[in-house]
Amino acid sequence: MRFADLISETLYSLTANKVRSGLTVLGIVVGIASVIAMVAIGQGSQASIEQSIQAAGSNLLTVSPSAGGMSGPGARASGASVESLTREDAEALAGLSLIAGIAPAAQGQGQLVAPETNANAQFIGVTPAYAEVSGLTLTSGAFISERDDAANAQVVVLGATLAADLFGEDTDPVGARIRSGNMLLTVVGVLEEKGVSGFTSVDSAALIPLSTCQRYVTGSEYLSAITLTVSDEEQMDAAETSVEGLLLERHGIADADYADFSIMNMSDLMETVSTVTGTFTTLLAGIAGISLLVGGIGIMNMMLTTVTERTREIGLRKAIGADSSAISAQFLAESITLTLIGGALGILAGWGIGALAANLLGATAIITLDSVLLAVGVCAFIGIVFGYYPARRAAALSPIEALRYQ
Amino acid sequence: MGSAAPVTPVIEARDLTKVYDGAGAETHALRGVSLAIAPGEFTAIMGPSGSGKSTLMHILGCLDIPTTGTYALAGQDVSALDDYELAEVRRTTVGFVFQAFNLLPRSTVLRNVLMPMLYTRVARDERDERAAAALRAVGLEEKLWTHRSNELSGGQMQRVAIARSLVNDPSLVLADEPTGNLDTATGDSVMELFGSLNAEGRTIVLITHEPDIAARTHRIVRLQDGFIVEDAAIADAHVRQYGAGAIPVADDALHPAAAPDGDV
Repeated sequence: MRFADLISETLYSLTANKVRSGLTVLGIVVGIASVIAMVAIGQGSQASIEQSIQAAGSNLLTVSPSAGGMSGPGARASGASVESLTREDAEALAGLSLIAGIAPAAQGQGQLVAPETNANAQFIGVTPAYAEVSGLTLTSGAFISERDDAANAQVVVLGATLAADLFGEDTDPVGARIRSGNMLLTVVGVLEEKGVSGFTSVDSAALIPLSTCQRYVTGSEYLSAITLTVSDEEQMDAAETSVEGLLLERHGIADADYADFSIMNMSDLMETVSTVTGTFTTLLAGIAGISLLVGGIGIMNMMLTTVTERTREIGLRKAIGADSSAISAQFLAESITLTLIGGALGILAGWGIGALAANLLGATAIITLDSVLLAVGVCAFIGIVFGYYPARRAAALSPIEALRYQ
Repeated sequence: MGSAAPVTPVIEARDLTKVYDGAGAETHALRGVSLAIAPGEFTAIMGPSGSGKSTLMHILGCLDIPTTGTYALAGQDVSALDDYELAEVRRTTVGFVFQAFNLLPRSTVLRNVLMPMLYTRVARDERDERAAAALRAVGLEEKLWTHRSNELSGGQMQRVAIARSLVNDPSLVLADEPTGNLDTATGDSVMELFGSLNAEGRTIVLITHEPDIAARTHRIVRLQDGFIVEDAAIADAHVRQYGAGAIPVADDALHPAAAPDGDV
């Protein structure tokens, strides 16, 4: 049988019973569409989570004060209330070879009083390095300088949201003055909007010199965190080890289990998140895969019904000279055609559903070539596997018996 | 064989037996059938049900192979072919006509007639020519060619089926009760068609249990209990008028019934 004839016969047979063919195709469409949509949503959310971690900087080590090991003596209720890190620690860490940038920071709450309005805001006491380590850029003015920090200067750099809250969207507040407690802060700069990323949003924060913050806001010499950038991303673990070693030594702690600080490694976090979202994606795809299996069984069911219904036709075709392979090719072609049509529609539908769902969830859907190829492969596999048995049954019919069949 | 035929017989069967393994018991459908049919003959195989005529037809049509014995179709020994080889022989050498027509009901007349050529390597435009020629040969009006076959009358359907049996230009046309589902008048016209096809040189074997139908052929082979009990040539209208009288045939007589114009 020529290939062109095979195709023509296949389409002819399938269109002879449009409703049944359509419903069978629908089963495959639903299966493929759900696999594609689920994988797209899964990969989309994975990518957006990774992107936000990346935006925060994947070469970051963050050292925070925290109570020692779970059963450590004198463990305090929460890490936030532990005071262990100082500016001196930060300066010592700057001497380590793998550390490129170092940004000690202190945090505290405060009420900001602008001429027009008030706002409650987070003060972050920072050094000039903070801008680079946290990847901040300014829309106007300048960042806090070494001199500001050295002189306990009463200057502030406002986060984008906070600036808008206090002074309105269109006003450039540089030069304006804000009162907060004992401080009369001069606005020297405004940050570009960064969006929600990392663990603190700087958009609604007020950045002041670290020394100013320690004196007027927190009233202590302790830090809330030291953020470090590592010069070589490949060496994150080595850098973490050397930071931990140095701090343990400085704090006089012999057993790392009792450390009064904790180090968060962004690349570890990234790996963990990737693993979790990857598992999540696989789980979604697995559930969707079940509906694909059901679709495949639908194909087999239809093909078996068709073989029974067309027994006489098969007998006739054999009598006029079709051999077994021509008969099985015909039935196999029908099931493969059904799955391929279903697969093509399913990819489109899955793409649509993925985009829509992602839109509703506020994420992006990512259709990769991999998932499309996987879907096509699975389709062809289903067509062959679930079509093979019915086709074999058709081919194995004896022409004499088949012609007698009522 | 006694007198060597000048041309290769279309059918040359020797001592065919067919045994079916039933549930526990063996069924002997054919118990030693020898038959020779020359090109251009028009033969009827008759017999009551259970006589083995269907089994014989299946073997003659290469739908089945004999348990023992040899069968040569158009000079080719086909008694021990496998399924694929049998399919190949059916494709090129045999045209079937069935009692129930066996057309694809939702397909057009033309598509039905084209179908046997799906399995042979015939070029596309040649297929259309051949199908048209076959449909003209069976006298089916051209306006019906695009009708679906289930819109036709029984007689028209059987004509389509006959056209379908002819498209691959077979050496042998095998018709199984071709008039069984038709009324007498339509049956007559179908038999006329077979007669005229035979007159053009087609070798036709038809299975029937109706003496009237058998009488319109040129030779009658009667089967009973798996044996040929009678093999008679009907030479001319005179004999046909009085029916095919029972003409006993010697056991070893598998002489091809001479030429259609021979003597009885």
